[in-house]
Amino acid sequence: METLEIFEEFSLYLKEMKSQGKKIIAFISHDNIPEELIDAAGFIPLRLIFAGNDELMDASHDYLPPSTCAFAQTCIGLFALKPRHFNFLDLVDYFIVSNHCVSDICASEVICKYFNIPRLNFYISYMRNPNSEKYFRLEVSNFRKNLEEIRNGPISDDMIIESIKKYNEFRKVIKDINNLDIKGSIKLKLMQKAFLFGPNILPELRDFIASNENSISNNSKSIDLLLTGCSIFMNDTLIDLIEEGGGNIVFFDTWIGYNYYSQQFKESTYNHVKNPIDLLASRYINNAYSDHSVPNFLENRITHIEEIYRNYEAKTGKRLGIINHIIKFCDHMSLMSSFFKNNLQEKGIKVLNVERDYSRANRGQLSTRIEAYLEMIQSE
Amino acid sequence: MKNFIGIDIGSLATKIVLINDGKLLDHKTERSTYDFKRVGHNLFDDILSQHQLERKDVFVMSTGYGRNTIDIADDRVTEITAHARGAQYFFPDAASVIDIGGQDSKAIVMSKKSGSVIDFQMNDKCAAGTGRFLEVMAHALEVPIDQFGILALQSNKPASISSTCTVFAESEVISLFARGASKQDIASGIHKSIARRVAGMAKRIGVCPKLVFCGGVAKNDAVKKYLEDELGFEIIRPEYPQLTGAIGAAIIAEDKNKE
Repeated sequence: METLEIFEEFSLYLKEMKSQGKKIIAFISHDNIPEELIDAAGFIPLRLIFAGNDELMDASHDYLPPSTCAFAQTCIGLFALKPRHFNFLDLVDYFIVSNHCVSDICASEVICKYFNIPRLNFYISYMRNPNSEKYFRLEVSNFRKNLEEIRNGPISDDMIIESIKKYNEFRKVIKDINNLDIKGSIKLKLMQKAFLFGPNILPELRDFIASNENSISNNSKSIDLLLTGCSIFMNDTLIDLIEEGGGNIVFFDTWIGYNYYSQQFKESTYNHVKNPIDLLASRYINNAYSDHSVPNFLENRITHIEEIYRNYEAKTGKRLGIINHIIKFCDHMSLMSSFFKNNLQEKGIKVLNVERDYSRANRGQLSTRIEAYLEMIQSE
Repeated sequence: MKNFIGIDIGSLATKIVLINDGKLLDHKTERSTYDFKRVGHNLFDDILSQHQLERKDVFVMSTGYGRNTIDIADDRVTEITAHARGAQYFFPDAASVIDIGGQDSKAIVMSKKSGSVIDFQMNDKCAAGTGRFLEVMAHALEVPIDQFGILALQSNKPASISSTCTVFAESEVISLFARGASKQDIASGIHKSIARRVAGMAKRIGVCPKLVFCGGVAKNDAVKKYLEDELGFEIIRPEYPQLTGAIGAAIIAEDKNKE
């Protein structure tokens, strides 16, 4: 299904949900937003996972300077312009302001203020220690209370546990999709659709996995790649450039991908949980790979990538290229990109740092870098 | 197949070479203009007719900005890989390359063992650090571009150009000249500025000797000298610095046909 068709289907879906009285809660932040609570409240979580273009970025410049994160610019531009396929943004009832990064905070605050959308706050500590877990637990409890106020009724522990089970199963299915031996662009499109619709499309996802789990991709000539860094969002042509250049992404080490589904609970955990808020809070402290995991985020990331690389090499006998995707001007990813690349290259793992915004003019430059990198891997 | 053509379609100039059994037989260069396909076709037709060759007698490898668009190519390779191979054609023990073209610059590091590319860095988003920077400044000072490097080397006291943007640097140059700085000193400052920028990019990937300096700007002795000052070692220039990409493409085509 083409991306625009997915948007149309999603728009109809949201309108249907709205007509049933469900609230739409939108957010930009990638990690640690407890969407299970939103679901338990009977509301619809809407994660903004849409790539931009020149028009959307330009439209944001009334609110943010151009030298800011292109993804943040895009999110603002979507609300400013409301292009035809994004009319569903008119249905958003609340917007979560969270601090995944400074750009998230700024863009979320701009959207709430200038587009008159009530805000819900959910802030996260940058440290990973017992005190930050307590703080996170407090934020989760407060978030529950806020949702109960909107709902005008309690959200029972049983309702939360049911949602946790549902989303846990959903994460397992996303993992299975990521592990299928199919073309990367097909895998990505399905994961993106899954992130939009959530567990509601579990049957469709399971059907797809069942019909593809024994498939062997015909991409023997393409270079296998791991994508890390920023996600490839919906309607972004980067993956097409990669595939046109002869690459195939076999593993998505991004928020649309591993970062999300790695946060699973064991069934034994939630079958015996007394307080589901404690369970949601525990996911925070156990999420060692999250961007909010100072100190040692860079070291953890390098160790993680090296492990995947060595396992892949041992299992398949093939080299795995690493593409570190950085959306300008992501301080978080770009400031660490040189250290990330140098550290891995010292271990004999070749990395391509791809830094870009959503401008159309970038296409030729991106394709040259990607193709040159693939030529480099091929010549090894 | 014995005849291999490499065609490097750059944003400013299109270069074509004819190689036979590893030897450079002929080369041509022309400004790309907006219609680089037509320029490429014309150069191709000229070189075929001058050597009494037909289309079926040659294998064509394209590289550069227009590599995917030119329809006469049998295969394509990026300018990164092409320049690395081209540098090794002239200097088999080349370990790195700096290429400064009309609208981009690049640094490439090769394996000393195998000669294959192991890292690269490109600047194709900003005119500073490219031939365009020199063109704009030469025009501002009303100096012919082929005299600009010679003028720069006459200076004993290079002016400091602090702007990193070509547009703002042009204003700075005009202002310096208005305040009485000599053309030689300003020219020297400009050349140092481009060298500093490109060397900074090159050092990030660990360029080392033997470093081959190619591209149209490699013909400029002042840029070469200041690059050497920045890098701390001597760099070498091939006989045809502007053809490295096209030669590399042709040699890669020949290598592939032998396999």
